[in-house]
Amino acid sequence: MRALTARLRPWLRVLVQIGLIVLIWLAAVEISARFLPGIPPTVSGIAIALALMALGLLRREWVEDGAAWLLREMLLFFIPVVIAVLQYRSLLAGRFLAILCVIVASTACVMLATAFTVDLAWKLEKRWRARRETQA
Amino acid sequence: MSHLPEGLFWLALTLVLYVASRRLHGRFPHTLLSPIIAVPAVLITILLLARVPYAAYNAQSHWLSAMLGPATVAFAVPIHQYRQVIRRHCFPLIAGVIVGMTVSVVSTVWFSRLFGLPEMLERSLSVRSISTPFAIAAAPQVGGQAELAAIFVVITGLAGMVLGEWLLSWLPVRTSLARGALFGAGAHAVGTATAHRRDVEEGVISSLTMIIAGILMVLLAPWLAAWV
Repeated sequence: MRALTARLRPWLRVLVQIGLIVLIWLAAVEISARFLPGIPPTVSGIAIALALMALGLLRREWVEDGAAWLLREMLLFFIPVVIAVLQYRSLLAGRFLAILCVIVASTACVMLATAFTVDLAWKLEKRWRARRETQA
Repeated sequence: MSHLPEGLFWLALTLVLYVASRRLHGRFPHTLLSPIIAVPAVLITILLLARVPYAAYNAQSHWLSAMLGPATVAFAVPIHQYRQVIRRHCFPLIAGVIVGMTVSVVSTVWFSRLFGLPEMLERSLSVRSISTPFAIAAAPQVGGQAELAAIFVVITGLAGMVLGEWLLSWLPVRTSLARGALFGAGAHAVGTATAHRRDVEEGVISSLTMIIAGILMVLLAPWLAAWV
């Protein structure tokens, strides 16, 4: 019996932590709906969790394992959403190749633009820092 | 037959297939065996053969999609954990995300018009380079369909995984900051997994880029919709 509870304990902890995260999410849904019309709960939820951690009201260890589980198994949560493709068969039929071309072309643009911007910004920042240090 | 048992059957089948696919993919790490490809492929085949409408499938399975909301809250943990990294690289990361997301929306709209895609598809495609829970929140704001956006997000992740490795094999991008940002902005979670395999720091940067991009896109979506 003791061996069983010892084996169940980590699972129980993950479950309780997920419960806590769900509570934060539900609070975010309420708060966004009532007070923050322009900010969806997807954003306010993260903000609330970060604020609670910054204020010391929520310790990271209290949600860490649950969050890791949710992020690791996220693929499971969007399977039903992907299956919804069934409803859009007529809209997608015959357009799949065009959609794939748009996605590949645009993703290449995004990747090139992001990598070069980050590289450039990093070099600029390094130069500013060096200049500030020589002036100081 | 009552509806509840049928709905529960589809939910249970989804869970069983997911666990099986994870095990199989763990042993044979082929893209086609990944849970996000294999499970929907098998389920869609079954649903089509059995002539089961989507509503019947989703009657109880929507509980799974409901967990996407709490999953976004979970992103607060890596942000808090790596807040020093964000603070240190704040300027390049935010500049990269702003440019990357603008290019994403504008290039998607242009290419969609070039290929003559209907507006509904164009709008749903425009939020495809961010993580699914964010894309689902942003899609309706730009006049797209959440479900379509989710499918395009998945295709983007897979295309981006291959594309990113190929681009980095010849691009003159040397900092792991820029390499990680490339995967996070271009291919969200799938890209982040790829980046993690390549290098731990690249992986961390990629996940942070993905989260910042998601938040920014959700906040900017209403303005973008009015603009393009």
